[in-house]
Amino acid sequence: MAQISVCPYCGTGCQIVVPEKDEPFSVSGYKGSPVNNGKLCIKGYTGLNYSFSKERLTYPLFNENGNFIRISWEDAIELAANKLLKIREEFGPDSVAFQSSAKCTNEENYLMQKMARVFGTNNIDHCARSCHSPTALGLINTLGTGAATGSIKSLEGTNTFFIIGSNTTEQHPIIGSKIISEVKKGKKLIVADPRKIKLAELADIHMQFRPGTDVALLNSLMFVIVKEKLYDKEFIDSRTEGFNELREEVIKYDPIITSEITGVEPELVYEAARTYATNRPSAIFYAMGITQHIHGTENVMNVSNLALITGNLGKYGSGIFPLRGQNNVQGSSDMGALAEFYPGYIRWDSDKIEKFAKLWNSTLPKKKGLTLSEMFDKAADGEIKAIYLMGENPLITEANIARVEEGIDNLEFFIVQDIFMTLTAAKADLVLPAASSLEKEGTFTNTERRIQRIFPIYKPPGEAKPDWWIINKIGSRMNLWKEYSGPEEIFNEIREAIYNYSGATYENIYPVGKQWPINKENPDGTEILHTRSFPLGKGKLVPIKFNPPSESVDGEYDLIMTTGRNYFHWHSGTMTRLSQILEREAPEPYIEINSEDAYERKIRNGQLVNVKSRHGEIRIRAKVTNLVPKGIVFIPFHYKESRVNLLVGENLDPISKIPEFKVVAVKVMP
Amino acid sequence: MIYSLNAEEMAQLYERISKEFETYGTVDIQGDITFSRIESYDELRIGRSDKPPKEFLIGRNENVLVFTEPNKKAVFGVMSCDLKGFYIMDKQIYGKDPFYTARRDNTVFINYVCTEPCETGFCSSFGGPLLNDYQIQVINYENDKYLIYADDAYKSFFEGFKQASKEEISKVEKLMHNFNMKQKKHEVEGIENRIKWNSKLWDEYAKICIQCGACNYSCPTCYCFDLNDVGEERFREWDSCILAGFTKTSAGNPRESLASRLRQRFYHKFVYYKKSKGEYLCTGCNRCTDDCPVDIEIKEVIDHDYNNE
Repeated sequence: MAQISVCPYCGTGCQIVVPEKDEPFSVSGYKGSPVNNGKLCIKGYTGLNYSFSKERLTYPLFNENGNFIRISWEDAIELAANKLLKIREEFGPDSVAFQSSAKCTNEENYLMQKMARVFGTNNIDHCARSCHSPTALGLINTLGTGAATGSIKSLEGTNTFFIIGSNTTEQHPIIGSKIISEVKKGKKLIVADPRKIKLAELADIHMQFRPGTDVALLNSLMFVIVKEKLYDKEFIDSRTEGFNELREEVIKYDPIITSEITGVEPELVYEAARTYATNRPSAIFYAMGITQHIHGTENVMNVSNLALITGNLGKYGSGIFPLRGQNNVQGSSDMGALAEFYPGYIRWDSDKIEKFAKLWNSTLPKKKGLTLSEMFDKAADGEIKAIYLMGENPLITEANIARVEEGIDNLEFFIVQDIFMTLTAAKADLVLPAASSLEKEGTFTNTERRIQRIFPIYKPPGEAKPDWWIINKIGSRMNLWKEYSGPEEIFNEIREAIYNYSGATYENIYPVGKQWPINKENPDGTEILHTRSFPLGKGKLVPIKFNPPSESVDGEYDLIMTTGRNYFHWHSGTMTRLSQILEREAPEPYIEINSEDAYERKIRNGQLVNVKSRHGEIRIRAKVTNLVPKGIVFIPFHYKESRVNLLVGENLDPISKIPEFKVVAVKVMP
Repeated sequence: MIYSLNAEEMAQLYERISKEFETYGTVDIQGDITFSRIESYDELRIGRSDKPPKEFLIGRNENVLVFTEPNKKAVFGVMSCDLKGFYIMDKQIYGKDPFYTARRDNTVFINYVCTEPCETGFCSSFGGPLLNDYQIQVINYENDKYLIYADDAYKSFFEGFKQASKEEISKVEKLMHNFNMKQKKHEVEGIENRIKWNSKLWDEYAKICIQCGACNYSCPTCYCFDLNDVGEERFREWDSCILAGFTKTSAGNPRESLASRLRQRFYHKFVYYKKSKGEYLCTGCNRCTDDCPVDIEIKEVIDHDYNNE
């Protein structure tokens, strides 16, 4: 019989009804879901073919001098465990790094980070580093919780939608469509985006600002709010601290001055500020446009400032919505698959980690862990000897991939666990075949903190195994734990580890999930965060000074490139590019370039061009369009044929270590 | 023939049919009604399914280089709006598409007729839920009473069951009449002449459409597909005319804009098919609207005053 599952693509977490395989195979949206009410986007409808692909990995493979040979699971587990233990013995636990995956379940992420820490190192990280690590750090710093403050349903109560740095209809289509439905009813929509995205066309106000000038733009909005006293004085007095310091900073950002930096007309800033501050409740939506900058964490804190001073938190319809990219990136972060956080965002250097020493019956590492990009860096330097990587494809998705490749090539032992032989897996010493999300049991947590269950509806192909099974075996073989009986036992340990998950049970999160915190105080979960107070007590207002992005144009590199995804593909394309329909819609890499820029460079639509940055060069087809303004080009990062991340440098946000994927100076040559 | 059965006899009917056919039916998955293999009559839950039963005849994504004789299937619980979709599609693909034709010939749809209008459907604008074309048509008109219209081909399944009386038939006819009176009517007739190529509707829809494909995938009459060679296999996959790649050719795309693609869908439904096959390619199930994340209303396309925009 059919079963309910969760779409494996974006963080919206749409619930799907999946029939059994001997039945006609097509998924539909689950109508009982409060997330998607039965609706799906094109990736949900046509993007699940990959699970049945003949290209799936079906047995463990050992790389013998460049040839992959089939080995048994016993040998694979033995080999993985022995190698890791041997390297630990020789070089210490910090010579090994673990990379988890936001595509995997909570249970798998929890187990992966536990493996790292009981093994003896905080070198555990995953792709959240490259997407929402600034959110976790920024919002934990200002509010105390690094997650969306409201629910998708609560958008029905929103009067003003402010979208900054999120192409919502393409990247979180069901949330985007919810916004469209509300705007159709007459709600206000403000969009701040360098590109003319679909929502910009429907917006009351579109501020087409220059990439990397978010701080100046947000400060200028607050300038207007402060100048015209549009802030919520009562909220500021009772719920926040630091308003005077913030005011001192933002009054320097007169829209007349900032328009030089951002390129946005002062009138638009005034109108946007007035609408956002007065037509309440207002909700802010952001994604990679805010976070993937060297000032990503500061951007997030500035978003928080704006919401705090206008009292747009803690009420139905208001809030901050960091739209999470991967289906389980909220969960993988909650589980502590991050260098600086244990499960439940407990810092690695806090006293509170004692509880994990007890729970895991183990001593814990004393050293700060390496983040994703640092791991490859240190591998290239020879300090990291082995990496155990699950469900990621950094040779396409990481910044500065030339350096990543150097790091991987320099490893003594490289384990990759995936469902496909990805570009990255092809470089592994040991490849472990994993099960897809339709083939395993577990939970995912979506962008609104909703914990939802998935089920093993199909059998994995060949000898492929669920990720939890593999980690479980290797971990117990290394004597890190006694083998778990299954995902539910791991889930129950998570409930002990994370108080915000403690009230969730397999029974009460089915068929529709519940939003954390779910615990003794909130037995039914929590739809809206911060209604009475913040976990920090008072919300912290943090003055942010504008600093230019890491790269700027000069005589040679005269265009600013920004990177991202398109509607039809997902990250490194290993899943979506196997769907014939999705691949047909976006079959090859391209650069979006404004018609004036194209004309100046004598570039025609469809022509192959060279794109060069200070870090690398690729060849790619030009798409001449006015969706991007003059001076700015856009390249999606899905395509292994022309990996745009060869062009992205290693400029990191000093706080979160996220690379600046969104601002790269390039030149485009016919 | 028209028969009159009670609930117990319905279960017997199921038993008889399931001896000869692989049985499928609508089941309840946590409140969602969906088609599934069923092993007993008790599993059947009558209600509007989350998607049409189109896949029983047109594979979602299948290799068309291999033809296997389909199993004989019986599908219980098919709503009239969905069943009608097959009869409309027949005009275009029956006899031409060997997969569709073979499955069509080997599948019996046991149609359950709605006795109360559903929330959004508008089948009465297309004649109502009682159909002229059917194999086995069931009307559960009173608690334990079922009136069944059955094609003579299925006579053997009804041996020993009593024929319906005039009173029973007139009761059902009255019920159906009331159904059609109760449901709001939309003036479909003549839409092929009223609809306008340059209507502002298409641009309005293009502004909000996110190209999810739901209107095609959920439609009981959309039959378009794409062919793709993957290794040794040639896959035929359901397609969506809302996507740009649907009509893209090496010489460009005749429907480059989203507005033109949205218009095409409605023109196919209400103009082209009507002119070539004499029927609208729509049954009033309203799924395209129900599943549309941005609420594009097919009823608006029908009701819109094109002359006074």
